[in-house]
Amino acid sequence: MFDLSLFWEYRAILLQGMLINLLIFALSSTLGLTIGLIACVGRLSSFAPLRAASAGYIEIGRSIPEFVLLIWINNVLPFALSTMLGERIHFSPILSATLALGVVASGYFAETFRAGIQAVPRGHLEAARALGMRTPRILGRIVLPQAIRLMLPELMSQNIGLLKTTTLVSVIAVPDIMYQVGIIGQQEMKPLPLYTGTAFAFFLVILALTTLVHHTHGHLRRS
Amino acid sequence: MEFWTRTIIDNSGPLLDGFRITVSVSIIAFVVAAAAGLIISLARIYAPPLRPLLSAYIAFCRNTPIFVQLLWVAYAWYDIFTWPKDVFTAAWVALALQSSGYLAETFHAGFDSVPHGQVEAAEALGMSRFTALRRIVAPQMLLTMAPAFMNQFIVIVKCSTLVSVIAVPDLMFQAIRLTNIWGEPVPILTFVAIIFIIMIMSLSALSKSLTDRLRLRMAR
Repeated sequence: MFDLSLFWEYRAILLQGMLINLLIFALSSTLGLTIGLIACVGRLSSFAPLRAASAGYIEIGRSIPEFVLLIWINNVLPFALSTMLGERIHFSPILSATLALGVVASGYFAETFRAGIQAVPRGHLEAARALGMRTPRILGRIVLPQAIRLMLPELMSQNIGLLKTTTLVSVIAVPDIMYQVGIIGQQEMKPLPLYTGTAFAFFLVILALTTLVHHTHGHLRRS
Repeated sequence: MEFWTRTIIDNSGPLLDGFRITVSVSIIAFVVAAAAGLIISLARIYAPPLRPLLSAYIAFCRNTPIFVQLLWVAYAWYDIFTWPKDVFTAAWVALALQSSGYLAETFHAGFDSVPHGQVEAAEALGMSRFTALRRIVAPQMLLTMAPAFMNQFIVIVKCSTLVSVIAVPDLMFQAIRLTNIWGEPVPILTFVAIIFIIMIMSLSALSKSLTDRLRLRMAR
């Protein structure tokens, strides 16, 4: 019953699918970190309209389910853009996946950045200013070293969450691991070993990463 | 405007049916996950031999993507356990599976949050075990666990959108189906996306106000 040989037989193609997951993860994480940083700077700016716009963006990004945004970007956005611009626009599945996961991640990343920056005591800034440091120097030597240390564990676990979410992209026909599992499962008429194998493969990979994060967290606390 | 309202008002029946399924699958999954989480965390305290097994269960639930768990429960479990027999059951079982791991940890943290000395002090003052539980332990546990509980419910609602993939006719399933029928993706999918954003935002606001009120009451 627990014969996982079918899973092993298709290891090459499944591994290829897993690489697509990692690709989507790398792309959407980069996009999320970039937009998240911009949104965080906007959220902390002294210009009220920019602050409100950033806060609104972050709230929406954190509130929309990834799957809903994925389907929306895949089906609605190219259609709406085509109508608006009067020419046919086509999104590749990988682009849709990167955009959807990146936007959702950026909302969470922005809040993590903000929490990290705001956790640096105000007195440190005042002290640095009193010592005659200029703003870039204060940022580079006082704020960022502390803030990065504070937000690193949270950023890492959010990235692990993002890696888990990349499994959704099979619904919009990105040939990731779940997509391959679906196709092979249908061809072989044996879904059990494939889904079970994939579930446990993910479990081991994610568990290793989570353990690493815990380890780093402890390490950062001690130093 | 007519372009927006026509598609949505004409299809409000199926969309409302879908909304009901989304709500019921989320609530069933949450209640089952909370019950399972409580049982697991109690078993961890009172049945030490089971501890490694339960820890492995919790680690598995927390470290596997929900989408993989959903398809695994829906397509592989029947061959192992001859259960669940329909997609609706598979949907809430998968959602509850993931959350039970997180909620077991929440209960664990809740039990840990009350120092044992307080229970002993309550007993020394002549309180019965039940009174000590009701007046000393439970309120403090509730305060520690409430935010995590509300948060987990929001996670379940978000993940419930995935059940459309295994053909449970939830709100997202209806939106995709109607889009395919009418060939007009913009209004229906945008409307449903906005509904989800409003739903999750209201739940977050509710969660915040509930926790704040709880903290205020406890602080007296």
